[in-house]
Amino acid sequence: MSVELRGIEKCWEDFCLRISNLKVRDGELLTILGPSGCGKTTTLRIIAGFERPDSGEVLFGDRAVNELPPYERGIGIVFQDYALFPHMTVFRNVAFGLEMRKLPKAEIEKRVREALELVGLEGFENRYPEQLSGGQQQRVALARALVVEPKVLLLDEPLSNLDAKIRERLRSEIGRIQRELGITTLYVTHDQEEAMAISDRIAVMNVGTIEQVGKPLELYYRPKTKFVATFLGTGNILELEAKDGRACLGELCFDVEEEGTVRLFFRPENVFLKPGGTAELLDVELLPGRVRLRLNLGGTTITAERFINELFFDPEKPPSKVGLEVKSYALLPSPL
Amino acid sequence: MRFRIAHLVLLVPVAFLLVFFYLPIASVLKLGLWENGFTLSPIISVIGNSYHRRVIAFTIGQALASTLLTLAMGLPGAYIFANYEFPGKRAIKALLTVPFVMPSIMVALGFVILFGRDGIIADLIGHELGIIYTWKAILLAHAFYNFPIVVRMVSALWQRVNPHYEEAAMALGARGWRLFWKVTLPLISPAIFASAMLTFVFCFLSFSIPLILGGYRYATIEVDIFTSVMTLLDFRTGAALAIIQISLSGLFMYLYLKSLEAYSKREEQKLVRKTRRLTLRDFLGLKGAGMAFYILIILLFIVAPLLAVLYDSLVFNGHLSLENYRRVFSTAYNPMFGTSTLGAIRNSLLFGVATVVFSTLVALPIAYVLNRWDFKGKRVLDVLAMLPLASSPITIGLAYVRFFHSTPLYYTFWIVAIAHVIIAYPFVLRAISTSLGKIKKNLFEAALSLGAKEFTAFLKVELPLALGGLVVGAIFAFAMSIAELGATYMLATPEYTTMTIAVYKFIGARQFGSASALSVLLMLVSALSFMMIEHIGEEVW
Repeated sequence: MSVELRGIEKCWEDFCLRISNLKVRDGELLTILGPSGCGKTTTLRIIAGFERPDSGEVLFGDRAVNELPPYERGIGIVFQDYALFPHMTVFRNVAFGLEMRKLPKAEIEKRVREALELVGLEGFENRYPEQLSGGQQQRVALARALVVEPKVLLLDEPLSNLDAKIRERLRSEIGRIQRELGITTLYVTHDQEEAMAISDRIAVMNVGTIEQVGKPLELYYRPKTKFVATFLGTGNILELEAKDGRACLGELCFDVEEEGTVRLFFRPENVFLKPGGTAELLDVELLPGRVRLRLNLGGTTITAERFINELFFDPEKPPSKVGLEVKSYALLPSPL
Repeated sequence: MRFRIAHLVLLVPVAFLLVFFYLPIASVLKLGLWENGFTLSPIISVIGNSYHRRVIAFTIGQALASTLLTLAMGLPGAYIFANYEFPGKRAIKALLTVPFVMPSIMVALGFVILFGRDGIIADLIGHELGIIYTWKAILLAHAFYNFPIVVRMVSALWQRVNPHYEEAAMALGARGWRLFWKVTLPLISPAIFASAMLTFVFCFLSFSIPLILGGYRYATIEVDIFTSVMTLLDFRTGAALAIIQISLSGLFMYLYLKSLEAYSKREEQKLVRKTRRLTLRDFLGLKGAGMAFYILIILLFIVAPLLAVLYDSLVFNGHLSLENYRRVFSTAYNPMFGTSTLGAIRNSLLFGVATVVFSTLVALPIAYVLNRWDFKGKRVLDVLAMLPLASSPITIGLAYVRFFHSTPLYYTFWIVAIAHVIIAYPFVLRAISTSLGKIKKNLFEAALSLGAKEFTAFLKVELPLALGGLVVGAIFAFAMSIAELGATYMLATPEYTTMTIAVYKFIGARQFGSASALSVLLMLVSALSFMMIEHIGEEVW
């Protein structure tokens, strides 16, 4: 079942959330990505029914659910701190939603067992949350949300309290389970790597509005705003004068359709190096297997990243000047 | 929709507070401030009277002096408990709860037995120390009562002072007194201030101790209201005094709550402060000997009144005997207080149970709404809910006499029980609020998302988690009800005489043996309840 937000507005004294339209397609995993305080968690809470928008509509499928309380929306939610009931065992936590639905005991036991199996926690039924590691607690929270077979799964920064290693493993596991069950999922995170890795599509959010929605690579290489460009990773932004379909910085030229001042954007890995040229090599930073180079071309600093084995020179004895080539770039809205 | 539910949930407790606190208090305000129009003349005449003026000055003065004495007694203990480990520490810590457990009437009794004309010390050294029935006895009793508060609150914060601050200061060259003065003291000062304010408020409103140990000469405002109303039947003067007292205690209570905010704002510290293990060698040095001496003195101070009462209860006509206890358990009608002593024990227990049930029923909805919901006027509700804390038992007694004397409620069991509820309920509210505040809000939301309706989510998730606070509040209510003297004395008809009233009358009749035996029972009951607090507190927190 799809989830759609239409004309949502919610204001506080000093902050407004405005979403003209956002749709999570049936069976899709859509991530809302943004810095803390941008309104992404509020968006999730509006969908869950914990917050009431000042105006606008929340649709589950074709049905407006604005007036439905959370317990009638058929959602499953995983909180950042998991919100496991501390006075209940793992079994009772996972069984809670089924008990609320007044299912027969045998059915509850069977489904709890299946849910725990799904997240790889068989045998932990009688533990209490405080006896589990963070990663295990996270799995229980996921099992608890999934066992009721929700139509929509909401994940609010589910991995941000975990160590990097467990985070990566659980990330791919959440992705696997989501695909397996084909459940419509909204994932909220501030971590761009997490968003890139797990999402079908990403909505980048900034100060209460959604800046761009698209597939991960589309957002990464073809950002439509400066915020999207910089939030998803490092990159080069050049402001150039375009004339006769070309905008040039020294010997480096781009084909553009616009005239006047244009703003071009490209990732460091799209900057290629070749011998002979006028770009001054400022410094070379060694990274595992890669190098990051800072170059000066006509007074503008450009960052490039290359694998070490692609370089035409020894990174410990770099030449003072090199040539540049940019193979893929995007046009950002021009500065006003 | 939430708003309507909020109003419904709040309706009963708010109506209860209105009828049993605000309207009766309003009748006291009217009596003191209204005579064919607004007037200040009763208050002015009270202030103009040199006796009452002296009482007011003495009340503030003794509270201040008691607080300073309490700090002097408590701060070294806080230092030792926060910084050192020694054999018997746990036992001494447990002993520190003794003063909490003792109803104040029993402390007074213990002091009379120790320092009185025919008291134990007079027996031992041949003459009186000249302490009893003077301000010295009041100050000592107040310090006895309150120094454990200082030790507990200050050492609790001291233990949480991040040792890195002190280590950083030491690395920069601070040490000894300079280190304490510049770094440690500012960090623990919120606890010192909060515990001092609490002590001050308790001493300011103190009743049983000055009543028994001070007599007319060293009366507090609370005692003055009591005698104005009960002995002189001068209700207007009583009301004027009550208004003066409420204004002052309201101010002090506000300062206390403010200081408490600063105290609890100090971040929870995960780093455990290393305590140093004391060895026998330490006691050879000056500092160690000082600490040993201090511990000895406070131990003596704590156990002396207790042992005095215990000893006295076991002596009859100069011989060791259980006769006092046999008499206490007698079912015979005692004309002195209009029921049997066993009847008094039964009454105390019944009032205790009623207080537990009703103060919880009043406090729980208010605590819940204040913790969980946002609405306009929340701060107003917060203040109105805590205001009974600034009144005193005697003022409540006076207000009830004025307001309910011609209603069918008067002369019943319930008027006493309800007075106990009003006195105990702010403490219950705080206990419940504290434990509700520790429950993460998204547990409730998680329950909703899993299909639980609001009330089910409260019942299945929040209530079980708040149980610790509920039990602590309940035990507080029970202990306060059982130790209450002033309001009960003003409102209870003879058949509803309680243990504390019986003790008071036994003291008045100088039947110290019976008073002691009954006190020991009284203390056993409240000790049991406090042990339960500690036990449950450890399990829940």
